[in-house]
Amino acid sequence: MIWKNAGVWSLMFVLAFPVSTPSLAAVGGLPTKTAHTDSSPEWERLREKIFQARPIEVHDSLVQLIVPLRAAYGASVPVGVVSRLPQTEARYVKRLYLLVDKNPSMLAAVIELTPEVGQADFETRLRVDEYSHVRVISELSNGELHMDSRYVKTSGGCSAPPNRSAPHLIGKTVLRVPDAVTMNQPTPADVTVVHPNDTGFELNNVSVMFIPPHFIRSIKVSFAGRKVFDAELDFSVSENPTFRFNFVPHGAGVLRADVEDSKEARFAGSLDVP
Amino acid sequence: MTTPFSDPTRALPRSLRGVWSRAALTLCMAVLAAMPAVAALPAAYSPLVVQPVGGPARAEFDLTGALARARAEGRRLYVYLGASDCAFCRRYEAFLAANASELIPHFSNYLIVDLRSSLAVPADRLYIRVGHQSLPYAEFQRSIGDERARQLVYPSVWLFDASLKPLMQMPAGTGTFQTVPEQLEILRLEQ
Repeated sequence: MIWKNAGVWSLMFVLAFPVSTPSLAAVGGLPTKTAHTDSSPEWERLREKIFQARPIEVHDSLVQLIVPLRAAYGASVPVGVVSRLPQTEARYVKRLYLLVDKNPSMLAAVIELTPEVGQADFETRLRVDEYSHVRVISELSNGELHMDSRYVKTSGGCSAPPNRSAPHLIGKTVLRVPDAVTMNQPTPADVTVVHPNDTGFELNNVSVMFIPPHFIRSIKVSFAGRKVFDAELDFSVSENPTFRFNFVPHGAGVLRADVEDSKEARFAGSLDVP
Repeated sequence: MTTPFSDPTRALPRSLRGVWSRAALTLCMAVLAAMPAVAALPAAYSPLVVQPVGGPARAEFDLTGALARARAEGRRLYVYLGASDCAFCRRYEAFLAANASELIPHFSNYLIVDLRSSLAVPADRLYIRVGHQSLPYAEFQRSIGDERARQLVYPSVWLFDASLKPLMQMPAGTGTFQTVPEQLEILRLEQ
C-alpha cells in the first residue's frame, strides 16, 4: 500500500517539486480559457505516479468539488467535497486526495476514511499559488476512483504571510459540534489547529531570508476510541488548518484529534459528546 | 544646478545625446499614454466619485447617496476603492481605459462608485458610512460577511445590490480580472 507510513512522505516529497512547464498565457501572463474539467501536465504526472493506469471516473463521478472561481485570498481558498454515496460497510469512500495542480507541493491532503464518518463530506481551506485546477479524487472501498476538479483564479497563496499574533497558541486544537448531535446519524463537526502552516516560500522582510517550512503533517480524529479519519497533510493547507467532517455517534463518547507537525511536535484536543 | 549624475546624457558622446533624449521622451510618452490622465476610474465610465471626509484622523467614505441613487435607477453598485499613489490601481484604471468601448456596455446595470483614497490610509483609519452608521474597514467587512476583513488591499472592488447586499465574494485586488473576459466574468457574477 503506497499510502502507508513512510511511503506517504516520500511520495509527497517527490511531488513537492514538480518540473514546471510553459503554458499558454493571456494578457498578464495568466491562462484564462481553461475549463474546470481540463487536465494539466502536472496532473498527468501525478496521476501516473499515484494511480498508474487505473481508470478514473469523471463523467458520472460520485464526488463533487465546490470551490469558488475566485477567492478573497489565495492563501485561504474554501474547498468543499461532497460525496454522492452513503458511507456503508458494503461500499464507502476509503480515501480522498486533495490536489492543487500548480502548487509547489501539489498533494495537499490524503484523508483515510472509515464508515464511521457516515457521510464522506469535507470542508477545508487550501493555499492556491497561481491560477490552477484544484482536484479531489475519491477512492472507494471497491477500488473505484472518481474525480472532480475546479479551475481557480487566484495567486500568491504559498507566499502570503500568516497571522503570527498569537505564537503561544500554536498547536491549540479545538473540536466543535456546531449543531445538535443526532444518534446513529452523520453529525457535522469540525477540528481546527492553531498553526501558521508555514510553506517555506514566505520571505522575512527584515532578514530577507525565507521562513522555513513548519506545517501540520497529520490530524487523526477518533470518536469513542474508533477511528473516524486520518489526514496526511502538506503546506498547501491554509494556516490554522480546519476540517469540517461528519461522524456517527452511537452513544456518548469523546471526540478526539491527535495532531503532529513537521517539527514532530504533537498536539491533541478533545470534546465530550453527550 | 545639474551634475553629471543628474543628467545621464552628459556622460554620453554629444552625437548620442539626442538619441538618448528622444528615447527617454518616447518612453515617457508611452508610459503616460498607458495611464489615465488622473488617478481615478476613467471618466468614460461615468463613475460617481466619493471623496473621503473626516481627515486627517480618518478617511470616511459615505455610500448613502450612492445606494439611494442605485435604488432609484434600479441598478447594482460596482464600488471601487483606489489609492492616488498605488501602482496596481493605475494598472487597473489603465486596463479599463484601454478597453472602455468593449466594457462600458456591460457595466450598464451597475452604478460605478469611485472611492478615492491613498496608501497612507490604513484599515483602521478607513471608514465606510451608510446612513447613520460609520464602521472602520474591518468591521464593515465583517458586517457584510466579506472575507477580506483581515487585510485592506488597494485596489478593492465590491459588488452590491441597492440594499448593500454583497452579490459575490470578491478577491483581494483586481489582478484576477484584468482581462476583458475576466472582467465580464465578474460583471456576470460567475463563481
